[in-house]
Amino acid sequence: MRITPAEVAALSLSIKVALLSLVIMFPPGLLAGWLLAKRTFPGKAFLNTLVMWPLVLPPIVSGYLLLILFGKHGFIGRFIHQTFGIEIVFSQLAVVIAVSIISFPLLVRGIVTGMEAVPPELENAARTLGASPLKVFWTITLPLAYRGIIGGTILGFSKSLGEFGATIMVAGNIPGKTQTMALAIFSAVHLGEDVSVYRLVFISTIVAFVALWLTERFTLR
Amino acid sequence: MENGIRIHLSFRKRLGGFVLDVDCELVKKVSAFLGASGSGKSTLLNCISGTVSPDAGEIVFGGEMLYSSATGINLPPEKRRFGYVFQEGYLFPHLTVAQNIRYGQPKSRDSTTVIDILEISELLQRYPKQLSGGQRQRVAIARALAMEPRMLLMDEPLASLDNTLKARIIPYLHHVKDAFDIPILYVTHAFSEVLALADEAFLLSDGKITATGEPHHLLTAPSAMPIAQLTGVENILSLPVMLSDKARGVTSLEIGSQQLVIPYTDAEIGGLLPVAIRAEDIIISLAPDLPISARNMLHGTIQALDVVGERTVLSILVEGHLLSVKITHEARQQLQLQEGSAVYCVIKANAINLLRT
Repeated sequence: MRITPAEVAALSLSIKVALLSLVIMFPPGLLAGWLLAKRTFPGKAFLNTLVMWPLVLPPIVSGYLLLILFGKHGFIGRFIHQTFGIEIVFSQLAVVIAVSIISFPLLVRGIVTGMEAVPPELENAARTLGASPLKVFWTITLPLAYRGIIGGTILGFSKSLGEFGATIMVAGNIPGKTQTMALAIFSAVHLGEDVSVYRLVFISTIVAFVALWLTERFTLR
Repeated sequence: MENGIRIHLSFRKRLGGFVLDVDCELVKKVSAFLGASGSGKSTLLNCISGTVSPDAGEIVFGGEMLYSSATGINLPPEKRRFGYVFQEGYLFPHLTVAQNIRYGQPKSRDSTTVIDILEISELLQRYPKQLSGGQRQRVAIARALAMEPRMLLMDEPLASLDNTLKARIIPYLHHVKDAFDIPILYVTHAFSEVLALADEAFLLSDGKITATGEPHHLLTAPSAMPIAQLTGVENILSLPVMLSDKARGVTSLEIGSQQLVIPYTDAEIGGLLPVAIRAEDIIISLAPDLPISARNMLHGTIQALDVVGERTVLSILVEGHLLSVKITHEARQQLQLQEGSAVYCVIKANAINLLRT
């Protein structure tokens, strides 16, 4: 009972996409998290709503909106098509976009929680010791918020691994190209390939467990 | 001691329903702001350090304008170079003591002087949570000094410590005062700390400065009394020394024709000695010759009785000095105390705290 090349492709695509989306979304996630946790500014509630939006929208709706936005006639899709000659919809790039949008709220939520737990008094103390706001961020806020940041990272990563609704809308379910683990399970169930379903479900379960366990290990006091 | 640097504070800051409104000039080496909690002490320091912006006014250090609402100048805290010692210490928990001290230190300087003065060389590799309260405050002071500040701001650095620890930290503050040629702004609610450290003092009450002067003079000023009461020491007397007997371990102070005996202190005969007695530490007796160990039996007359919560506060006139005494309502009834009653104030010598500079 060996794992098939199609299953390997699905697994590796899922992991590759989840990692890539993490790398892309981490810097804006830090920025958004810092703004929401540490700053007061007009439009803060609006920014928070915007970031958290995909969390409350049905993924299928987010996917549909992305499809419209990134389609050949969509606002962003047309611009990219004209400028770079790339079509985004039903490509691996579309998987990355879908997964990034859906997992972003979880990443930011973790970062905000972590940074809110850093007492502003410590940051003020650092300022009085001559540190610029940027230095305070790197040397005080970030290291003291690391539990929340790691938590958000793992949650976002896990969400990316299992994303289904938005991905299938905007990237389709093309085996070997845009078929992720979740989509492969969906197809296998549909086609009645029970053995394949068991294998994929088993692998997904293990990956999720390990991710969670690593989080706990790194963030437990 | 003059500090040679003119520090001008004249600003207003509103926080909810509270308004801090100060206008003063600091000229001495150690200036103390004395006030009860909620009087605006921390807000004052936050405005000076730059972590909070005033609403209007100006803050001038030497010739340099740090804040001015008229010209829109507001120097950020990192440019002000004021060392700030917080009541809670606020050491960085993820850094060792050595790293905490190095945090604000200019590059290529060493901190051996600071570490020696505060005697923390044993603690350098520890993390803040491995420190006791007194050690933590010493490290906090060292960290503020290591940045080579132009001024030191201290926000009740002793308030979180118990009395024994306080007494141990005060000598370090004296070392700091002697070793560093920078003005120090010290904020506290404890009269004794002001007397122990400050060259000039400002009484802060409900956001406003209500009295200014040398600490000694301030505590005898009538306006200081409410503050003294708020800060937990109701009775402050400045009395001449009659005799000081090292062999017997006592010093006697003159209070009119009577005597107040305190534990021995090396004091000049005839000189004034300020002492503080808490209102709870005085016992009322109707008879003078009780077979008890307390050394002091001051004869006086009750001037007023006020009910304050669970207690009755007696104001007793002793040789021209008014003493506040707190007793229970029950005691007041049993002794049938009323205005004009002649009573004896029984005070243990050890309950009398010396306020020394």
